[in-house]
Amino acid sequence: MRGGQPIAFVVGLVFALVVGAALLTISGDPVFDTYQRMWDRSFGTADTLSATFNRAVPLALAGLAVSIAATMGLWNIGAEGQIMFGATAATLVGRIGAEWPSPVLIVAMLIGAALGGALWALGPGLAKAEIGVSEIITTLMLNEVAVRLIVYLQTGPWKDPDGFGFPQITVKPEGSQLGIIWERSHLGVLIALAVIAGFAWFVNRSVWGYELRIAGASAKTAAYAGISMRKKVLGVLVLSGAVAGFAGGVELAGTAARLNENISNGFGFAGIIVAALALMRPSGVALVAVFFGAVQVGGQSIQTLGVSPAVAGILQALILFGAIGAAVLSTYQVALVERKVVTP
Amino acid sequence: MIGLLAALDISEAAFLGLVVATIQFATLLYLAALGEAIAERSGVLNLGVEGMMAVGAVCGYIGAVSTGSPWLGLVIGALAGAGAAGVHAVVAVGLGADQVVSGLALTILGLGLANFIGDGYTDDPRRSQFTDIDIPLLSDIPWIGETVFSTTPVTYLAVALGLGTWFVMNRTALGLGVRAVGESASTADAAGHSVAVIRAVAVLVGGAFAGLSGAYLTTTAIVGAWSEGLIAGRGWIAVALVIFGAWRAGRVATGAVIFGFTLALQTRLQPFGVDFSPILLSMLPYILTVIVLIVISIRARHQPSPAPAGLGIAYRREER
Repeated sequence: MRGGQPIAFVVGLVFALVVGAALLTISGDPVFDTYQRMWDRSFGTADTLSATFNRAVPLALAGLAVSIAATMGLWNIGAEGQIMFGATAATLVGRIGAEWPSPVLIVAMLIGAALGGALWALGPGLAKAEIGVSEIITTLMLNEVAVRLIVYLQTGPWKDPDGFGFPQITVKPEGSQLGIIWERSHLGVLIALAVIAGFAWFVNRSVWGYELRIAGASAKTAAYAGISMRKKVLGVLVLSGAVAGFAGGVELAGTAARLNENISNGFGFAGIIVAALALMRPSGVALVAVFFGAVQVGGQSIQTLGVSPAVAGILQALILFGAIGAAVLSTYQVALVERKVVTP
Repeated sequence: MIGLLAALDISEAAFLGLVVATIQFATLLYLAALGEAIAERSGVLNLGVEGMMAVGAVCGYIGAVSTGSPWLGLVIGALAGAGAAGVHAVVAVGLGADQVVSGLALTILGLGLANFIGDGYTDDPRRSQFTDIDIPLLSDIPWIGETVFSTTPVTYLAVALGLGTWFVMNRTALGLGVRAVGESASTADAAGHSVAVIRAVAVLVGGAFAGLSGAYLTTTAIVGAWSEGLIAGRGWIAVALVIFGAWRAGRVATGAVIFGFTLALQTRLQPFGVDFSPILLSMLPYILTVIVLIVISIRARHQPSPAPAGLGIAYRREER
């Protein structure tokens, strides 16, 4: 089935476009114009392609975070919260080091973001490793805590004194912006690629990654091999959180002007879909993330046609459902069963 | 009682407002959580509650204002919620795909669909809402009467559905079948239960309840209209509530009142002159749920966990 995944993805894409076309037709929206506009504003020109790459960065890193946890058969549903807390930690570093030279500040912010994400995943990791609490619900719950923490900070302690009374956090310090490398794409695109390549090597080639995959495949085998499940579970969840938090830091330094409660914008949840479509493989995560980035960026552009931008969310979910359907149905085989005719 | 309020420097109106808001939020959370509990008792985790509520809310609103009947709005909202849940039934139960992925994708799909359908209704001034119904005699009781026994019919419906769910789950063959499928699908299959059908129906009923919950928001004076972001994470509280309530209709109801109270406090804290951020308070349901999960897991070393044993595990008959 694994080799057939690109085909399943294409089937999912076609399925999404067909169902999407039906929805657009029912609501009286122009199908061709909508899709044409989405293509033009995502892949159409160098300018729009660079914006798509920017959007793919948090999606790919979130997807990577989910896939790291998945090597051990664990679900990190909390990438959303880890992204938010990572960005919060990066903002804290930015507030402390506002006067630092730009490269130092940015590196410190990104390290702070990764540590923040790791910290946000530490609780669920400990609970899973030590007492076997399902990481699905604990990581999910902490998403809701993280978003409220940001709202609290922007209405209270970190409220911008020059914000004309609006509840918003002060704009990041100068020099905390990642540089532009191509058209609108920022340095975060290269950083994300490097991180993904690093983890692909790490999971597939390093001893630690090898042990991870053994532990994920069979807890018993791992125990015979002397691999500590407790340490692995804790380590992999914290590492997954660190990558998601790092995504929050890159998003903050790359595209956002300031920290707000929409900093993650559903990247954590979309990242789970991305990782599932990529069958949890880092290289696939990067590719699928570019497609999802295009759908999201393109979806923002159709509002001027009078079409709801919600189409983007619908298409993303439909791609997954279509791909799952294709993958499952392709495992079924037609079998000829000889029936015995019973004569009375 | 009045002396206590006076001592705490709380006005009677503020207190009554808090009780009313608690009942409203408890109703909202209970309907969705009850539905999720039914699905989970059959062994299917559905993380699409947030999306199903959104679809129910927008369809309920459109149904109510276009027919002029909030009751029809409620029915349409429930049907829409069940329709959204149908996606999870097909993908997670029928195709046996991972329940976590399918449920989360359903949330994304449901929120997208709701915003797409409701695109032209966000500033709609039309209203079609339930009015409060006084229960005879009981509503004359001071304090309690004008809050608990004078509310919308949806709250009474939620109580009735809770009692009905308890009865079906614990006193009927159907409920036994649902629980058997949730504990061990292969054993239930061997005993002659149709695992796929029971699970699919439980997911659909769960979706209908989530749809009801969403429609409750748009057909009562709580909000009474559709807007994007209306559900605002309360679907996730419903998921939490199921764990908090140990998958039992009664305990989930208790949890709904507690969580409803914390939600109500956020909107009604100011009149009490309490100097504590309502936003920090709003973290409480989620943190409480994590604590409850940890307590359940620690106790599970000595006594059986209240969670259905087969929760989250897809069942494919040919792999039995």
